[in-house]
Amino acid sequence: MKDLFSRFFGKPAAKSKDEAKQRLKFLLIHDQVDLTPAQLETMKAEILAVIAKYVEIDTESTEFKLEKAQDCVALVSSIPVRRVVERPASTVVPQPA
Amino acid sequence: MSECIVITSGKGGVGKTTTTANLGVALAQQGHSVVVVDADIGLRNLDVILGLENRIVYDLVHVIEGSCRLKQALIKDKRLERLSLLPAAQTRDKNSVTPDQMRKLVCELKELVDYVLVDCPAGIEQGFKNAVAGADRAIIVTTPEVSAIRDADRIIGMVEAAELPEPELIINRFRAKMVAAGDMMNKEDILEILAIPLLGVVPDHEDIIVSANRGLPVAFDDDSIVGEAYRRIGRRLAGEPDVPMLDLSVPDGFWTTLKRWIGMNPAREVAR
Repeated sequence: MKDLFSRFFGKPAAKSKDEAKQRLKFLLIHDQVDLTPAQLETMKAEILAVIAKYVEIDTESTEFKLEKAQDCVALVSSIPVRRVVERPASTVVPQPA
Repeated sequence: MSECIVITSGKGGVGKTTTTANLGVALAQQGHSVVVVDADIGLRNLDVILGLENRIVYDLVHVIEGSCRLKQALIKDKRLERLSLLPAAQTRDKNSVTPDQMRKLVCELKELVDYVLVDCPAGIEQGFKNAVAGADRAIIVTTPEVSAIRDADRIIGMVEAAELPEPELIINRFRAKMVAAGDMMNKEDILEILAIPLLGVVPDHEDIIVSANRGLPVAFDDDSIVGEAYRRIGRRLAGEPDVPMLDLSVPDGFWTTLKRWIGMNPAREVAR
């Protein structure tokens, strides 16, 4: 019965204006940061590689995104840590002279 | 105290020239003296929108190069004595003028009238730099589209870099029915993204095309809702910030009323 009703009156579809707004927000952030998606991927891989030296991370559910904060763009990431690596690779870090 | 206001957008085709012409008319109708300046050298159009194209003898480049006096190049609008046009040159390009020359020209114009409105060309190059050179404040025109708003955001940054005060926004070609259906960004959506003060919303309307055909800006038409939108923007511009926004909301049709009555609650957004 409800189906019949919906068919008759049409159910509210996803609004195209929300899509426009979403795309626009993404665009403006990337215009401001001026990094190509490829550069962003490389940066992400390098950051994760550094973190992985110290802790074991869940690369599958890692999130990296650029968000518009008040006056600037923020790089927001969520990196689930599984456990600390047995022996931290502190030797790799250059010691201050 | 005279003021120079530049009307800009970044993207072409969003209605800068139409906005400049109509705000010029609106301000002159309120009793202010106004010169509208076409800074789109090589692609002049403000003369056509105002219906003054047959009266051009001298242009902005002639004035700057000193081949005529400023007053000789100003075309008085016979329909509205306080309004004049300084046309752009059609056979030259943007590099014929420097920002310093524009600044000097605007200074001279400000001694003659209350408001100097500069119609900025599209783009972010020399033409933009010339147009903002003498300005005291800027108006950004955008339409509710991704491309226009993206460019508006870029231009807002450039206006701030030119050390002008925070620009104000005109949302042009607003279609209340599409907004009500969720197929066009509303005023709040756009303001959330651009984060500058709103000067007004101009509805998309056939009157604009008819008025362009005739060379008679729609602000002359007392019965037109678009004309009314421009007249109100003109008043806000001239220091009456509390002039109410035009009500552009769509009255509920039969189906919407029925849907709401049977509890289907279709989304309703009021655009003002």
